[in-house]
Amino acid sequence: MIARLEALRLLRSRRPLVAALALLLFLALMLVGFWTYAESRTRGAANFEYTYENRSYFNGLTFALYAFYFGFVLLLPVFAAIEGGAQIAGDRGAGLLALLLTRPLSKPRLFLAKAALAAGFVTLLTGLFLLVALLIGLFAVGWGPLRLYPGVLQMTDAPQFLARDEALVRFLLAWPAASLALLAPLSFSLWISTLTRSAVNAVGSAVALYLVLHVIAEVHFFERLRPWLFTSHTAYWRGLFAESIDWREAARHALSLLGFTALFLALGFRRFRRREEG
Amino acid sequence: MVKLLVEATALCKRFGTRWALQRVDLTVAAGELVALVGANGSGKSTLLKLLAGLLRPDGGRLTVAGHEPWREREAVMRTTRFAFAPPALFEALTGREQLVALASAGGASVAARGREVERALAALGLAARADDRVRTYSFGLRQRLTLAQALLPLPQLLVLDEPTEGLDPVAVRELRGLLRRLRDESGIAIVLASHLAAEVELLADRLVVLEEGRVAFAGPVEELLAGQEEWVLAVDRPQAAAAALVAAGFTPRPARERDRADELRVAPRTGTGGASGLPLARLQELLGGAGVVLRECHRDRPRLEEALLARAVATPGAPEPER
Repeated sequence: MIARLEALRLLRSRRPLVAALALLLFLALMLVGFWTYAESRTRGAANFEYTYENRSYFNGLTFALYAFYFGFVLLLPVFAAIEGGAQIAGDRGAGLLALLLTRPLSKPRLFLAKAALAAGFVTLLTGLFLLVALLIGLFAVGWGPLRLYPGVLQMTDAPQFLARDEALVRFLLAWPAASLALLAPLSFSLWISTLTRSAVNAVGSAVALYLVLHVIAEVHFFERLRPWLFTSHTAYWRGLFAESIDWREAARHALSLLGFTALFLALGFRRFRRREEG
Repeated sequence: MVKLLVEATALCKRFGTRWALQRVDLTVAAGELVALVGANGSGKSTLLKLLAGLLRPDGGRLTVAGHEPWREREAVMRTTRFAFAPPALFEALTGREQLVALASAGGASVAARGREVERALAALGLAARADDRVRTYSFGLRQRLTLAQALLPLPQLLVLDEPTEGLDPVAVRELRGLLRRLRDESGIAIVLASHLAAEVELLADRLVVLEEGRVAFAGPVEELLAGQEEWVLAVDRPQAAAAALVAAGFTPRPARERDRADELRVAPRTGTGGASGLPLARLQELLGGAGVVLRECHRDRPRLEEALLARAVATPGAPEPER
């Protein structure tokens, strides 16, 4: 019952629409960004399909991957945090948690239903992002082999080449991998939302902390801290676009992220179970 | 043997350093309507939240339908329904969807759930708006929907917080009738917290007056008002009449809102056998001696609201703590 109710509430809320529109807008911005970048670098002589780096380098798959890379860093964690924050703190602030708790529902069931629904939503959103990015890439540029080179984005340490069909398989693999990576900020936000009455505070705090941890994970000065930060592991899905996937490394990161997710969920549930709803 | 659905003994609750409830005793039996009254911050809402298992007691003992709410909330909710104020509802759902979803939590079958929902919608006059989104509802409709969800399925104990707030007079009267039927025909125990003493006076079998977290009175309304009878005198010169009465050892009582300007109230002297200890002949003699004409005279007793107001003035309540 509670899962159905929560799903209905999510569908009827504006969150899915806002998230989808934001993703579309982001992809449109990326498209414009690539276009104007190619224009400015080649003084108007280049077609959009070919950037300054290599005439055979850029195609719809490259666009989709880069768009997803930026979306994963900038946008999807925010939606994961919003989803997590809206679950407990949002309901608490609106008095709905008290309403739900005055039905014969156990707190574990309620908490798990909310966590599962949020995770499902973030997974669907991630899949939608990838799908739309790929489709835009297909129709605006056209698909081709995926070539990656070392660069500032740290997509790869060495040049990589994936034939088109193999690259599409990797995109398919990237979906659950990236979704799993987003479970950590989602559960982190869910935990924060058990500590406050305001969804805005929960989401704001979770996003701010995520960004701080993300920056710390990227700065070499904090190298020793990295293994202890979930943000050090979230970009592991990029390894799935290597010619030869290091499955052992991917599994290590995935397990670390699952561990962090379990920890945040446990902390959140502990607080949720003990907290008074006065 | 009477089945007790609520048993609180020396129940305490503290927020920080402030005691919101101090050694509160309360019992509610099946088929009984008990009203909780008190000023803001007197502890009514805290008590209701303790009954719902939303707050953890800091002392004493509390059982609802034989279970401790904080530890066994789920078990309590199988027999008890709550309607808190202000109404909290799922804005994006329709009224019917909300009721169906919440009824499902009771474990009822789909068919039984459907019947229960229709019954609750009809009982609260919501059938016509059942398929509209809750966000389009007025405050009064929200209040009705909150009450409707509390009837799904019919509980053994119904706990209502300010149930008539926001309702129009017709809806208030209908709700009164519904609560009486639930109590009399279904044997449901009802705990009702309200600021509206007039409602309480009409409905409650028993009254629990909370003052600064303590039970200041518990018993039938009649018992609270007993011994407060007084004379209401309509005279041509109220001030002179008051002076004459004081001189004779009587205590004029403060005028009530409903009193006319030429009326004054007087309490009987202690040991005179109540208001009847001031016979009309003695009054006329006393006032006549002071040159006051007594136009009308009748015995009266305060309404519950007046009695509670008098108590509140005597012991002003502390504001509700920020949490």
